[in-house]
Amino acid sequence: MTEELDELEDLGGGGSAKNHGVLYIGMDLGTSRTSVSASNGVRETVYSMVGYPKDVVSRKLLKKDVLFGKEALEKRLSLDIYKPLEHGVLKNSTDPNSVEAKQIVQAAKDLISEAIRIAQPRKDELVYVVIGAPAQASLHNKEAIIEAARASVDSVMLCSEPFAVAYGLEMLENVLVIDIGAGTTDLCRMHGTMPEEADQITLDFAGDSVDAELSRLIKETCPGAQFSLQMVKEIKERNAFLGDPPKRVKVTLPVEGKPTEFDITDQVKDACSVLVDPIVQGLNRLISSFDPEFQANLRDRVLLAGGGSMINGLDTAIEEAMNRDLGGGKVIRCEEPIYGGANGALKIAHDMPEEYWEKLK
Amino acid sequence: MGGLRRSLRDAVRKLAYNTSVDQLKKSGIKKVNVLGIDRIVGLIDEAVNRSLRHKLLASEREEVVDATKEEFMKLLQSNRDLQASQDELLREKEQVEGEADGLRLELQQLSKKLEERLEEAETREQARYDSEDVAINRDIDMLFRELGTSGGSNAQTQEKVHALVTQLVSRERATAREEIESARSREFENMQRRIKKLQRSLDVTEKKLVEVSAMKDVETGIASLYREVQGLNAGTENVEKKKGLMDDIFKANLALQGGS
Repeated sequence: MTEELDELEDLGGGGSAKNHGVLYIGMDLGTSRTSVSASNGVRETVYSMVGYPKDVVSRKLLKKDVLFGKEALEKRLSLDIYKPLEHGVLKNSTDPNSVEAKQIVQAAKDLISEAIRIAQPRKDELVYVVIGAPAQASLHNKEAIIEAARASVDSVMLCSEPFAVAYGLEMLENVLVIDIGAGTTDLCRMHGTMPEEADQITLDFAGDSVDAELSRLIKETCPGAQFSLQMVKEIKERNAFLGDPPKRVKVTLPVEGKPTEFDITDQVKDACSVLVDPIVQGLNRLISSFDPEFQANLRDRVLLAGGGSMINGLDTAIEEAMNRDLGGGKVIRCEEPIYGGANGALKIAHDMPEEYWEKLK
Repeated sequence: MGGLRRSLRDAVRKLAYNTSVDQLKKSGIKKVNVLGIDRIVGLIDEAVNRSLRHKLLASEREEVVDATKEEFMKLLQSNRDLQASQDELLREKEQVEGEADGLRLELQQLSKKLEERLEEAETREQARYDSEDVAINRDIDMLFRELGTSGGSNAQTQEKVHALVTQLVSRERATAREEIESARSREFENMQRRIKKLQRSLDVTEKKLVEVSAMKDVETGIASLYREVQGLNAGTENVEKKKGLMDDIFKANLALQGGS
């Protein structure tokens, strides 16, 4: 009977039989960006933003039912915009029956479908996906992400995001991973086995906190300057630094409609510095609660990953703070911050035995 | 081996782009070095072999060469299959487009014909009645003129005769018209039914066209490096540790997905 069903499935309207290959996809589902790395060589990233036309007129004008990422951002005035992930998890998913929650889940489903689409899978290939979820995502949130992904793939697994980063770099023991996203910063202690709850800390201080602080500082110090949070985010992404500035940060913002130049070097530095202390405190908690014999090993191998790790000089700033508060430490920067999580998830997908994928189909 | 070389040749041809001497001239190129396709294929072949010779033992080399050839042929075959299904879709789309165009044309022609027939029948009938009226009036006038010359009638009688004849003729026409209209309405009804049927077929065809167009637009995607599910192999670094980690991840997901 099962064979018959399989045959029917293969012959059905869904497309050709999936017997030509296996596409592995590693996905880093983030608050700000969703990145995918796939076994066909594709590596793409899309802003985690989904837009639906507000009315019939805008739908006719945009000629699309749903827009994603940058396109959604550019056409946001004609769209109902959703950022389905807040602090790395599905927004409002604690009350799954509310209209808002249903829309968020739909937006998450659409975003995951889009992330799969940009990985360019072939119709005749099996698609197996590992999604990096925040270390402390709730069970309900994980279920919602799985449900959202199932619609687009043959089999899906979740894993802890910082674990994926470390696995991707073959750093399986004696390493402390700092994964700085937009919504959360995940800290994870790797010691050769699967990290448990006590091995992971999720902080709310992340990229969005820097945006909020920078926004506050600009408002305070640049009288009359008009700007949006999106503009602040772009300023941060271009200029974020700690330590000595590589160059002065000068931006042009409108004041009563007139473009006006401001030097916001100090503001950018101050805003970025909000991350350092909470991270070092988190590191301290994870190091001090570890086996004393191996604490020094952990302290000397701190891996900095995620989009937030692109802040110029952040590694040095954390090292200095560790020297001050923890008596020393060494921070290694992940070479590919944007794709670190996705690459690791891809490696996990590759190494996962066939029977495990089959059982989760 | 010949098959592989042919396939390599096809692959190189597919990857190459066409240009003309004029275009090259416009780009400022006056001389070109020509490298034959066999030479290119030979070079690829040689490069692969040389690389394998340096890195592998003879027995391993043979295995890798065979496996690579097989994989390459599979990839090409799968690309050919994909191309064939795309071509098939295109053909289907063209066929459905043709059908839709034919139906639209037939529908338009039939509707126009119906309209023309209605108009034509109306005009022809009216013209016939007008000419009949003229002839009857002329005959009555002639008759009264003849009677007038013989001194027998007057204008009042002539008027009454006109009215009587017109009444009789109209009654006859009405009866005849009913019969004709009944016959004609059957014809028109048939035409209208045919138009409705055509419209329905057109709707179905247009829907099918939208579906085929959507299928045609589906991106073909990029083939994965892997034909089969991979997993850890014995030679992987830290294989036992990784197996344990994979097991943990699976168990956590089984618990999560089993309960969702």
